[in-house]
Amino acid sequence: MSDPWSLLVPGLVVLPLAAATLVPIVAGRDPRRAGSFTFGVVLLVTAMAAALVWRVGEVGAISVPLGGWAAPYGIEFRFDRFSAWTLGLSALFAFIVPFAWRYLEGTLPRSRWHVFYALLLLNLGGLLGFSVTGDLFNLFVAMEVVSLSSYAMVAVAGRGVAAWAALKYLLMGSVSSLLVLFGVGLLFALTGSLNLIDVAARVAEAPASPATTLALASLMVAFMLKAALFPLHAWLPDAHAIAPSPVSAVLSGLVVKVGIVGLVRVLQLSAGSGTDLALVNQVMLVLGTAAIVMGAFMAVFQDDIKLMLAFSTLSNIGYIVLGLGLAAPFAVIGSVVHVLNHALIKVTLFLAAGSIIHQTGFRTLRDLRGVARVMPQTSAAMAIGALSIVGIPPTAGFICKWYIALGAFESGQGVYGFALVFGALFIFVYYVRMLNAFFFRPAVRAEVQAAREPAWSMRAPLFVLAALCLLLGIFGSIPLAFVEPAVVELLASMGR
Amino acid sequence: MELFGFDLDYVAFMILFCIGLHMLVVKSNLLKKLLGLNVMETAVFAFIITSGMVDSGDPPILVAGTNPPFANPIPQAMVLTGIVVAVSVTAVALALIVQIHAHYGTIEVSELKERP
Repeated sequence: MSDPWSLLVPGLVVLPLAAATLVPIVAGRDPRRAGSFTFGVVLLVTAMAAALVWRVGEVGAISVPLGGWAAPYGIEFRFDRFSAWTLGLSALFAFIVPFAWRYLEGTLPRSRWHVFYALLLLNLGGLLGFSVTGDLFNLFVAMEVVSLSSYAMVAVAGRGVAAWAALKYLLMGSVSSLLVLFGVGLLFALTGSLNLIDVAARVAEAPASPATTLALASLMVAFMLKAALFPLHAWLPDAHAIAPSPVSAVLSGLVVKVGIVGLVRVLQLSAGSGTDLALVNQVMLVLGTAAIVMGAFMAVFQDDIKLMLAFSTLSNIGYIVLGLGLAAPFAVIGSVVHVLNHALIKVTLFLAAGSIIHQTGFRTLRDLRGVARVMPQTSAAMAIGALSIVGIPPTAGFICKWYIALGAFESGQGVYGFALVFGALFIFVYYVRMLNAFFFRPAVRAEVQAAREPAWSMRAPLFVLAALCLLLGIFGSIPLAFVEPAVVELLASMGR
Repeated sequence: MELFGFDLDYVAFMILFCIGLHMLVVKSNLLKKLLGLNVMETAVFAFIITSGMVDSGDPPILVAGTNPPFANPIPQAMVLTGIVVAVSVTAVALALIVQIHAHYGTIEVSELKERP
């Protein structure tokens, strides 16, 4: 433990969790202090994650045995190239928190602000823990921290509709968590270990058995449910659309990715298990394609902008799963980077939608016609986000989808490449509908004509996010090159 | 260890799990759905506990005069954490159900679907 770097990894998880418990105390009589405190913590965490990512790029994966007990008996925290996602994760929180400062006024009574910020920090701590842990049971616990704080955040703005959406989310989420716990328990009974790497090795040594397949399958289904992969998506649209916009951004951009990170972990586990990976990949291909098409299809008929964005998350989860299922180097690299890029784009879109709703009080396309005339800057950020998510070059969304399509054609599964392009066209349709209503239709509501641009603390994060959407498109090769060694290693262990 | 033989405890676990799942999916009352979830949780906990148990084993505490086989303590620690999580989830769910009842005046899913 003498290496200072190895202290950073557990610090990454402990700091936000500990800070979350301090928020009500810091807030004291002035709830605004809770916001500044949360922002400070998030910035510190982001700096720590940046240092770790740099270090991983230099020396490779960092493994930290907690309490000095060496793996496989002790609990291991592991920061590898996939964990570099934690940097994007905490950086996005650093945009969401200042946005929330002004957004909360009028949305949430001041007496509940500290609850909101504490939940945000808990959520961040859970997400970070989930991404860096090397222990199966820890994976479950971190996932539960994320899930519980998410249920509470959906309901935080109060009233019955939000509670009903949150409860639907809770019931589905708990079933998924239960399946994870069952899978972890079964794997422990079979292998006698909880360390991810150790379990993978022991599963590979043991003869293939139906029990191993059952354990891995239940983990996989559970994570697909967490990721809201079609047809397991029923809980997502309501929860994501009804939550306050900063929460929607966290849920849609970051929390659903728990399922994807989990899926990658299960793929690592099952690589040597003798499970029929070709079948698993086939299932992922079919479900991914179905999710792209169905997500886009359902979004076309929505009038509520936040519901549209929620359905667009379904499509994008489909893209990521499709890329993983193709199991070709280009496609998997594209998928892994799309986890980050989609998070960035979706946070941009939800924050832009949030400021439009906050300033006008309307949330349907019909009511919001002509809003770009009174809020040109916010609408421009929204447009950049929309172009990114459709995948128009040179934006952040293009490069990932391009890589996934390349992977499809390269591995001789061109039909999925066409499905991807077809899906992108479909997605283009409803974003064009949105932009058309905002920019080119005359306003029908007097309130919209009287609306103004939001405060600077809401606009500034939006501008930086929109700029990042463009920059990550232009310099998109940096994250792609960063994850490449990890992806090559993963595919090699799967025998590809 | 025989996992898919006819070990009575595993069969009981499967039945209990299916009863819970049935309640969660079929019942219209939100409280009953939550109870179904709790039954499922109990089933998984029971499964994990039994997977670490050995017949006529000693407690896993090293003092003079204890002999293997020992019961495995790790599943018990896992289930203890699992119970804490389950209690928190139940608490949040109950709080949400109270809010739903205060707003809609009902906790039947069939009636909730008809309201805006």
